[in-house]
Amino acid sequence: MSEYKLYNNSLGKPTIVCRKKDMAFIPMSEDNTDYQEYLQWVAQGNTAEEAD
Amino acid sequence: MALTLHGTVTDNQAGILRPRKNITPLYMNGDMAVAQRGTSFASLSSGANQTLDRHGFVVNEGTFTVTQDSDVPTGQGFGKSLKVDCTSADTSISSDGVVQVYQRFEGQNLQLLKKGTSSAEYVTIAFWVKSNLAGNFTLEVKDQDNSRLIASQVTISSADTWEKKVVAFPGDTTGALTNDNNLSLQVTWWLVAGSDYNSGTLATSWEAQNNANRAVGNFNLASSTDNEFYLTGVQMEVGQFDADSIPAFQFEDRATNLARCQRYFERITTSGSGDSFGAGVCFSATQGRVDIRYSTVKRANPTITFGSASDFLLQAGNKSQAPTGLSSAGSSLHGFFCHTTNSGFTVGHGCVLLDNSTADATIDASSDL
Repeated sequence: MSEYKLYNNSLGKPTIVCRKKDMAFIPMSEDNTDYQEYLQWVAQGNTAEEAD
Repeated sequence: MALTLHGTVTDNQAGILRPRKNITPLYMNGDMAVAQRGTSFASLSSGANQTLDRHGFVVNEGTFTVTQDSDVPTGQGFGKSLKVDCTSADTSISSDGVVQVYQRFEGQNLQLLKKGTSSAEYVTIAFWVKSNLAGNFTLEVKDQDNSRLIASQVTISSADTWEKKVVAFPGDTTGALTNDNNLSLQVTWWLVAGSDYNSGTLATSWEAQNNANRAVGNFNLASSTDNEFYLTGVQMEVGQFDADSIPAFQFEDRATNLARCQRYFERITTSGSGDSFGAGVCFSATQGRVDIRYSTVKRANPTITFGSASDFLLQAGNKSQAPTGLSSAGSSLHGFFCHTTNSGFTVGHGCVLLDNSTADATIDASSDL
């Protein structure tokens, strides 16, 4: 099971990544340190669960 | 009128003729007064943990509790300290063992150091410290942009006694700090250091990062459950100072101190039952969308975490219902939309998100470094 799940905004565009272990909602903003960790996780070949 | 000088003339000149170049303290929450996340962080044994505001705690040896404590140096005006208490000892430190207290800084706040130029400024760090463990620990300043660092061995001379330490680090003419909102500099108190970090020669001059030179001769705070380490009154000054010339600690009023910390972390809560977090609209029968604004503009678009959904209440018209889920959308430096998962609401009705009185409802917005 993926550690992250994508969430869409009101216009149907994914702008939030949810870190499932603590249900933290992480904006796709490159100066957010949690998003930086997510990008490293993706760079390791992992893929987030698609938005509903 | 007679003018009476105390101390040496040189020392008084230092205080009178060298006003600070910074209006607000460079080191934030140095009096350890702000603790939005809580006042006790127990069972810390791994990873990087946020504790009192602006203070991180890295650990991979032993188990510790970090608290906001009332043990402070007498007569200095401080009311709180940061206490690190060893609750599970580790006398056999692994090579990569590390326990640290640290604060991280944005590069744009430290351009006055002129690092990486021929005019690079000294940085002096002063603080009050107390421990049952007399001996040496390491204070390190690390340039994260250029992977350079400098360190100083600090001695606790008398066990269980508050001591003021003043450590001056020369300016570094190599490696400018990036002028943006990201991490550029870290100040670290090393409390445990494995052989990866203590097998070389302490980096008492600025040098490219060599882990072996980072915490040479450090004591081991994890050696006994009797061990504890207190810290307060931390100040970071531009320029070279000693114990006689260091300017007085800059006390901030509560609102200012809190607001500066909230740039990096803000816990949004209410005063109690029925109080409002914000207003919005029932986007569908099963979802409320509520606009939440922060008290302080954030360093970066923050990560949002919620307390238990049952601690909240969505109210529209004469219907009130605790959500079964909460999520964020439309996040920015200023606020976000809170999406609630509910049922049976009428599309288009205005709604408010309330505290449900069952417990303290909280929303955390974190943009820490």
